Amino acid sequence: MPELTIAVAKGRLQDEALALLAAAGAGVSSQDLSSRRLAVEDESGRYRFIFVKPGDVPVYVEHGIADCGVVGRDVLLESGTDLLQPLTLEIGRCRIVVAARTGVNLNELGMLRVATKYPHIAATHFGARGRPVEIIELSGSVELAPGLGLADCIVDLVQSGRTLRENGLKEIEVIDESTGRLVVNRASYQLKAKAIAALISNLRSEI
Amino acid sequence: MTEPLSRIPTGMRYYFGQEARLRRTVEQTGMTVFDGWSYEEITTPTVDYYSLFEHGMGRAEAHRAFRFTDNDGSLLALRPDVTSAAARAAATLFADRERPLRLCYAAPVFRQQPQSHAEWRRESTQIGCELIGANTSVADLEVLMIVSEFLRRLNLEGDYAITLNDVGIFNGVAERLGLNPTLREEMRQLIDVRNAADLERFLKPYTSAGEGQAFAQLVQLSGKRETLELARSVISNEQSREAIDRLESLWNVVDSLGLTDCFEIDLGDVARLDYYTGLTFKIYVKGAGYRVGSGGRYDGLTASFGKAEPAVGFVVDLDALTDVLRLRSMDASTLALPAGSPVLRASVADEKPFGESPVNPSDVFEEALQKRAQDERVSLKLAR
Repeated sequence: MPELTIAVAKGRLQDEALALLAAAGAGVSSQDLSSRRLAVEDESGRYRFIFVKPGDVPVYVEHGIADCGVVGRDVLLESGTDLLQPLTLEIGRCRIVVAARTGVNLNELGMLRVATKYPHIAATHFGARGRPVEIIELSGSVELAPGLGLADCIVDLVQSGRTLRENGLKEIEVIDESTGRLVVNRASYQLKAKAIAALISNLRSEI
Repeated sequence: MTEPLSRIPTGMRYYFGQEARLRRTVEQTGMTVFDGWSYEEITTPTVDYYSLFEHGMGRAEAHRAFRFTDNDGSLLALRPDVTSAAARAAATLFADRERPLRLCYAAPVFRQQPQSHAEWRRESTQIGCELIGANTSVADLEVLMIVSEFLRRLNLEGDYAITLNDVGIFNGVAERLGLNPTLREEMRQLIDVRNAADLERFLKPYTSAGEGQAFAQLVQLSGKRETLELARSVISNEQSREAIDRLESLWNVVDSLGLTDCFEIDLGDVARLDYYTGLTFKIYVKGAGYRVGSGGRYDGLTASFGKAEPAVGFVVDLDALTDVLRLRSMDASTLALPAGSPVLRASVADEKPFGESPVNPSDVFEEALQKRAQDERVSLKLAR
């Protein structure tokens, strides 16, 4: 029986997260990695990994089904979770930004139509500035929206900025920075204190 | 209006069969243990004025209640906690009663907005105790011993952890750093999520790098006595020092009773600092992804109802506890205290001059726990 279950966000962060975990002594065999299984154990048998969609990581960890998780800060900001965040992992660094078509002055608009995958972050950001907004929630290809006239601007995650440029958009404001985080369930933190402290200290020495 | 009549509102549920029996047994076990420590049951109104909860729980917590208006326009709420009304009763209805006042309850509470994904229930049953009118460490220990006995009677020995902290530690540090309320809240949040790296960065302008790092490490740890020793080497202000001393004297008794396995010191527990005034604790049980209970000292509460006096208490979430026991495939008949059986063999009140300074608290509790092991009722005499 593994000591800890760790939920890892699939996609953007996955490879870097697994490399970091392997360096910290929680490595998954290449055979298991190349399989399509969504739950695998590490080679020592101390850890069980589950691979889930980024937005589901906080759900598994909050319920205590996973003791820990590796997920981007963007996901945590968006879902407003009640989790411990003992470690910032220097992986998957990116920015959450407001972007609009080049040449458009957003300050001239009495109301903004904002297309985004992050409705909560967008509403909080514009709310704090007292700007009336209509949030248009999309599940992908957000960069299309301003060019097609669906929205005046977008709130999205940006790594290099290339997708923005190629779709005629420019970054207007950085809302926040995001990197990978280690998140921990509050009950596990107390009830499995030793195993979690060991994982944190092993990861810390690899950052 | 074509909504099907079969629908049930989010966060509400049925209990029936085995599970209902188990839940009832857990409740009875709790109430029997509380009775064994001489706590008297109180039932408070299900519907009460919203302003009661605003004063009793603080704005942010009260805000989660279901609210509606009375015929005369005044704002009512479905009770989101029991403590507020119990404190009001202590200050009004029971104002002239002898102290300490010992009250206990098992009652549903309602919250319109749950706090996390895991806390999906909007109706949950709180089972808890309030000890009003005593501010000694013996009073603090009494409620801790009750929680611990309750969990042991549910066969959870070795599978629970009660984490202890004292709000004085955080408050002393925040005061020494001279933080305004906004920065104070920022520091509290960083500690609450155990974000050591950002906490260190936050502390940079206020203190030396070494001190900041040591403090950030400290709030990430949860441990036994050594945590307090470490805290002393990092924190020097007087208010925090006094709080550390208070925790240590509690720990000494816990230690001498051989209960250190189920207690932890967790200096990172900084929830609801505006509410608690001394000891705070959280209750965790293996198998539950969220804490099953919490408590602490709230000496400021009854003052808002016209009679300032010290108080300490706790609540346990009966439904969360039932879930854990059900997942361990425990049914009502396997519990130590079967439903409905006469448990208290003796109901003698063993009144001893406890809590007065010459008496050693360890001896007091050793004797009290022995009597409780034989299901005798105890009633500790506490200094005010």
